[in-house]
Amino acid sequence: MFARASITKRALRLLHGLLATAVLLLLPLLGLRGYWLDVITRVNIFLLLTLSLDLYSGTTFYLNLGIPFIAGSAAYTLALLNVYQKIPLELAIAPAVGVAILLSFLIFLPSLRVRGIYFSILSLLLPVIAVGIVTSQPFSLYLGGEGGLSYPALLYSYARSLPARERLPFLQLSYFYISAAVAIAAYVLTYKLAYSDLGFAMRAIGQDEVLAESAGIDTFKVKVVSFLASSTLAAVAGALYAAMRPPLTVDILVPANTLVPPLTAVVVGGMGSIVGPAIANYMLLIAYELLWDFVGRWRTVIFMALLIAMVVSKPQGVIFSLYLRVKSYLTTKLKSLKPR
Amino acid sequence: MEELKYVLVFGLLHSSTYLAFSLGFSLILGVAKIPNLAYGALYVLSGYVAYELLTAVGLPFYTAAGLAVALTGVASLLIGEATIRPALKNPVGVFITTMSVAYILEEYFKMSMGLKPVTLPLLPGTVSVAGVPVSNQWILVASVSLAMTLALVLFLRRTGTGIAIRAVAESWEESLRLSINPLRVLRVTLLVTGLYAGMTGVLLSPLKALTPSAGWTPLFAAFAVVVLGGVGSIVGTAIASLIYGLVEQAVTFTLGSGLAKVVPLLLIVSVLLLRPHGIMGRGE
Repeated sequence: MFARASITKRALRLLHGLLATAVLLLLPLLGLRGYWLDVITRVNIFLLLTLSLDLYSGTTFYLNLGIPFIAGSAAYTLALLNVYQKIPLELAIAPAVGVAILLSFLIFLPSLRVRGIYFSILSLLLPVIAVGIVTSQPFSLYLGGEGGLSYPALLYSYARSLPARERLPFLQLSYFYISAAVAIAAYVLTYKLAYSDLGFAMRAIGQDEVLAESAGIDTFKVKVVSFLASSTLAAVAGALYAAMRPPLTVDILVPANTLVPPLTAVVVGGMGSIVGPAIANYMLLIAYELLWDFVGRWRTVIFMALLIAMVVSKPQGVIFSLYLRVKSYLTTKLKSLKPR
Repeated sequence: MEELKYVLVFGLLHSSTYLAFSLGFSLILGVAKIPNLAYGALYVLSGYVAYELLTAVGLPFYTAAGLAVALTGVASLLIGEATIRPALKNPVGVFITTMSVAYILEEYFKMSMGLKPVTLPLLPGTVSVAGVPVSNQWILVASVSLAMTLALVLFLRRTGTGIAIRAVAESWEESLRLSINPLRVLRVTLLVTGLYAGMTGVLLSPLKALTPSAGWTPLFAAFAVVVLGGVGSIVGTAIASLIYGLVEQAVTFTLGSGLAKVVPLLLIVSVLLLRPHGIMGRGE
């Protein structure tokens, strides 16, 4: 399969991994507070959605547009467990993720055999159906409807013992560290998976499914395993988001909110490369926040236009190819430093 | 018994619009092998343009409606040229580009028209159909929709361009060998589907309030109807629209209008899981 990476390359990989981790974890110590800390926390959580989309759709080319459904079912399970069963959020995260994975798996399992655009169509219908259910009688009575479900946020019981002035900064900082730790772990695991033998098989499916099958790859099994991994990421993102940002509203299920940003990141970053979409996730979502000050509501229009221009002119994405160029430059630099 | 009559009458009326609207969607899906997610936004565009021409410019209703439909056809052509044609070889890409167009239009409508629902003026008066009072507008909608369906069938069967469209839908490469220009066919298809979305927009906007995001519901209905009926099958699409319209009205009268958007989609998802190529569709 892939040739064993050389020592230089591995050293380099470790180096920028550590660098990225350090930068991310040190942000609060560098004076990042308040609003922007919140923004980075949210972007960290969105990284999971981006990775989820890229891991499955970027490699197998089965566009799974049902990401909001998976994230939303985890979020709603979490909220329901807390509101109606009085289970603390800290304990409810794991069962919520489990339920969401099970639910999406049960629904998607038959459709994993469906090929081509039918899979995307089916997957896009799911969040639409879910929005309809949440906002209509009689379910909206239990699910909060448009107003949302309210419950105390994650770690709020600890924060309550603090003086009132310190509560919000405490919560913001803890959320930031939780999200950063989860984002880093998710990135490392996804990267390993995407560049393992399984990831290779997934790419083979994306290239030509029939050929992959005749080459001895059990395509259905590969799709099931990668789908499970991908939906775990989306479910964790949904549960964390709901735990940190009550009240939970139907917004989490709306594709414009939870599908479009990760999709943009995956396409701009370079589908299937994991590295590109991850970088694009941070660049684009932070840019999206910054744009608000300059263009206000036009930012959505600008983003969408960028996405179209991207797909039309550079369907392979830009960030990943840029990244490869920087990497090869650094590798040659490092090699020239080595004593002969 | 009384309720059943309502369900039947309104189910059939709704089915007729779903049929006309879905056929446009089906046409582009058949020719370009991609779902045009901007199709619902075209419906909204037509409604808003007619509304603006009527209220801000002050044109008479039929002139405003005609202009709006024509403009939607041109918009569909331009959108297709900019976002569908360059990405034809990349189905994932077209999904993304057409979805982006839909969101751009939606965001633009939000900024320019606001969130308040608007409606076009209704045709006055009612008639009684099997004892059920029905607005004249509905009668107009149903008859125009059926006429549109008939026109499309004749166009596809009897005219050279129509036959070329069917040839391209059958096979893009083979049609090249018959010296058909698939790109020209694609343009014609885009124009025709734009006109169909536009017609439905001006016809239905007096009955269903227009909001910036109003396009998604008919889009998903068309999606569901086309996939359920089988891509490229007019008979299948007709059966599927009947099922969709009747189920939707049955749910509206029994469980409320909120779930009426959901139950037919649920039904369709379950049918698709059993028959991935629809009722009348063929496997690849």
